[in-house]
Amino acid sequence: VSTLSLCFRINRRSGGLFLQTKMAAPLTLLVIVAVTIRAVLFRSSLAELISERVEVVSPLNSWKRVVEGLALLDLGVSPYSGDVFHETPLTIYLYHFVIDYAEIVCMVTDGITAVALYLAVQVYNKNVFRKQKYALEADRYPHDCLELMQTPKELFYVPLKVAMFYLLSPFTILSCVAKSTCGINNAIVALFVLCTIKGSALLSAIFLALATYQSIYPITLFAPALIYLLQRLYIPVNLRRQSFWLFTLQYAFMFVGSLVVIVGLSFFLLGSWDYIPSVYGFILSVPDLTPNIGLFWYFFAEMFEHFRLFFICVFQINVFFYTIPLSIKLKDHPVFLMFMQIAIISIFKSYPTVGDIALYMAFLPVWSHLYRFLRNIFMVSCVLLACSALFPVLWHLWIYAGSANSNFYYAITLLFNVGQVLLVSDYFYAYLRREHHLSHGLYLKKKDGSEATLVLK
Amino acid sequence: MPNIIAVVCASYGLAQSVCDGEDLPARAERFFRSDHTNNWAVLVCTSRFWFNYRHVANTLSVYRSVKRLGIPDSHIVLMLADDMACNHRNPKPATVFSHKNMELNVYGDDVEVDYRGYEVTVENFLRVLTGRLPPSTPRSKRLLSDDHSNILIYLTGHGGNGFLKFQDSEEISNVELADAFEQMWQKRRYNELLFIIDTCQGASMYERFYSPNLMALASSQVGEDSLSHQPDLAIGVHLMDRYTFYLLEFLEDIHPASQANMNDLFKVCPKSQCVSTPGHRTDLFQRDPGSVLITDFFGSVRKVEITMETINLTVPGIPLERFGGEPHTETALAYVDQLPVAQIIHQKPKQKDWHPPDGFILGLWTLILLVFFRTYGIKHLKHIF
Repeated sequence: VSTLSLCFRINRRSGGLFLQTKMAAPLTLLVIVAVTIRAVLFRSSLAELISERVEVVSPLNSWKRVVEGLALLDLGVSPYSGDVFHETPLTIYLYHFVIDYAEIVCMVTDGITAVALYLAVQVYNKNVFRKQKYALEADRYPHDCLELMQTPKELFYVPLKVAMFYLLSPFTILSCVAKSTCGINNAIVALFVLCTIKGSALLSAIFLALATYQSIYPITLFAPALIYLLQRLYIPVNLRRQSFWLFTLQYAFMFVGSLVVIVGLSFFLLGSWDYIPSVYGFILSVPDLTPNIGLFWYFFAEMFEHFRLFFICVFQINVFFYTIPLSIKLKDHPVFLMFMQIAIISIFKSYPTVGDIALYMAFLPVWSHLYRFLRNIFMVSCVLLACSALFPVLWHLWIYAGSANSNFYYAITLLFNVGQVLLVSDYFYAYLRREHHLSHGLYLKKKDGSEATLVLK
Repeated sequence: MPNIIAVVCASYGLAQSVCDGEDLPARAERFFRSDHTNNWAVLVCTSRFWFNYRHVANTLSVYRSVKRLGIPDSHIVLMLADDMACNHRNPKPATVFSHKNMELNVYGDDVEVDYRGYEVTVENFLRVLTGRLPPSTPRSKRLLSDDHSNILIYLTGHGGNGFLKFQDSEEISNVELADAFEQMWQKRRYNELLFIIDTCQGASMYERFYSPNLMALASSQVGEDSLSHQPDLAIGVHLMDRYTFYLLEFLEDIHPASQANMNDLFKVCPKSQCVSTPGHRTDLFQRDPGSVLITDFFGSVRKVEITMETINLTVPGIPLERFGGEPHTETALAYVDQLPVAQIIHQKPKQKDWHPPDGFILGLWTLILLVFFRTYGIKHLKHIF
C-alpha cells in the first residue's frame, strides 16, 4: 500500500509536466554531434566507398541515379527511360533545387526525422503516463505489478534516447553519408508518426499518402494510424458501430484524396504517366536483382520465368499480410502496432537498405521498460552485429577474391533478416506479456497454486 | 613388307657403295639412322584443381626440356587443363616449381600454352592428333606434322586400367588412343612417335597400339600406382611425380649433341626410386632402340648438308616499261575545311536546364498553403496581411 501511495504522489507531482525546454539543450548537442560525425565522414574518402555499398544503397534510393536522372532531364529526355531512375516526380522537384547541396539536405532530413521522432515519442509518453496515472488511481492494476510501472524519470529521457538512437546509429550515418534518398522516406514516415500521435487526421493522411506515394509499403500503416486516431477520439474500434465507419471513411477519403492529388500533380510535372511503371512497377515486380540485404534477389535470380509471377505475389503479400492479424491483436496498442508494421516493412520490402532498419530501431528505447521480458535479446544483438560486420567481408570474398560465391552472402542476408524477425517478435512477446501481467498479476499461479509460465502461442 | 623393301634398298645402296668404293659401314649406318626432318611435341596435362599441381609441373618440365633441346614453340602443342601459376592458392604467383625448396621454376616467362583450362578435352586432343580441326583453328593449336615428323607425345594426369581421366569429367580409353595413332599413320602424319605417359597403371594405355613406328614408355604397370615425389611445405602440394622427376633429372644432362639413346631412357627411374615399375614397348618400332637418339624425339636436330659450291641467287632484273608517258597538267589540291569554326560558334544551342512547369509549382504550393491553414487555423493569415 505504501508503494502504491508513493506512486500516486510521484504521478501527481510531475504528472504530465514534461518541460519541453529542459530537453532542448541535450537535443541540440546531440544534433551538433551527429552533424559533426556526418560532416567528417563526408569530407573523408569513405564517402565514395560507402555510396557504392549495396547494403546502403539500392536501385531505388541511390544518389548516383538521382544525379543521372536529373542529367537526363536537363538533356530533354524523360528520366524514366531506361532502368536508371526510380524516384517519384515530386522528389524530382525537390532534388532539382537541392542537387548541389545534397550533403546538407541529407543532414537536414536526418535532423527532421530525429526531431519528429523526438516530439512524437514525447507526446506518446505523455499519453502513456496519463493513462497509467488514471489506471493507478482507478486501482485497475494488480498490486504486485507496481514494479512494471513506468516511472517519470525513465519516461523523461526516452525521447532523447530515441533521437540519439536514430541520429547516432551507424546505419543512419552510413545511409546519410551515402546520400541515399532513404533519409527522405524516413523523414516522411517520421512526420507521419508525429502527426498521427499529435492527433491531426488531415496531416496524418497527407503524410501517409506521401509515404505511400514514395514507396508503396507504408500503406499498411493506415491501420495503426486509424486505430490510434479512433482511440484518441474515443470512438470504439467496433465494426458494428456507425461512428467507427464514419471516421474510417473520413480518414480513408482524406488519404485516398491526397494520394490522388499527389499522383495527379506528379503527372503535371513531366506531363506523362511513365513514372508509374518506373517507380511502382519496379517496386512490385522486382526486375533488378542486384544483391542487397533483403530476401528477394537470391530467390528470383534462380527463379524459372514460369513461376516468377506467382512468387512475386507471394513475396509481396508477405509484407501486407501481417497487418490485419496484428491490428486485431494489438487493437489497444496502436503505436506498438505502428512500430511492428514499420519493422515488417523494413524486413520484407523488395529493396531494403540499412536506412530502413535504422528507422524502426530508433523506436526501441520507447519499449525499454520491456527489457525484463525479452528472451533472446543477447543472441539477437550478437547475430545482428556479426551479420553487419560480415556483409562487407563476404561481399569482398565473393566479388573480388572469388573464393566465396553468392550463397555465402545470401546466408548472411538470411541470418540478418532472421535476427531482425527475432528481434521484432521478441519485443512483441515482451509487450504482450507485460500487458498480460498488468491484467493478471506479476506472479502468475496456476489453479493449484504452483508457479505458472507464460507461453506465446 | 616395308622391311623387305628396306633390305633391297640397303643392298642396292651397298652395291652402289661397293661400286663407288666408299666407307661401307658408315653409309649403311647413315641409312639406318632416322630420316625425320622435323620434330613435334604434344604435351598434355589432363587434370585440374590445385591439388593436381604436380601434373602441370610434370608437363611443364618436359616442355622445358624439349624447348631447351631445340624444338620451337611453333612445333609444340602444350595443353594444360588448369592454371597453377595464377591460382589463388599459389603462394608464389606466376611460378610453377618442380623441385623442393623452389629451386627450379618451370613456368618462366616464355611458356606458350596452346590449349588451356576447359579447352583441354578428349575431343580436342584427338582432333589435334588426327588433324581434323575446324578451318578457323589457328596454327598454334594445330599439329602440322608430315610423314617425316618425329612426334613426342607426353600425357600425365590421373588414369586407370585402360583409361586416362580428362578434367575430372571424361576419359580417353586406350582403344581410342590406338585408333587415333592408326589414323595418324594412315594419314602419314608421323614418321616415328614416342609416347610417354605418367599416370597410375600407365602401361595399360599402350597395350592396344597396333600402328608401326610407335615406341611407348609408362611410369607404372597395370595394377600399380604412380606415386608423387615430394611435397613442398611452403606451397602445400606435391610438386612432381616420381617418374617425371627422374626423367627431368635425366633430361637435364642431355644437350643437343648428346648421343644418349633410348636404352638409357628405359633405365630412368628403376623400381627402387619410383616404387612403381616403369614399362616400355618397342615391338612396333622399326629401329633398334639402342640406335635411337634421345634428341631424335626430345630435341630438334636438323641435318646439315655442307656444300662447297656457290649458288647465284640474284637474277638480272627486267626493266619496267613505261606506260603511255604523256604528262598531264596537275591541278593544285587543297584540303576541305574540316572544322568550320565560324559556322559552329553561332549555332551551338545553349545548355538549357530543366525547370518544372509553372502550373505544377502553382498547384503544389497552393496545396501546401491550404493544408497549412487548414491545420493551424485561419488566424495565422493575419500575420501575413
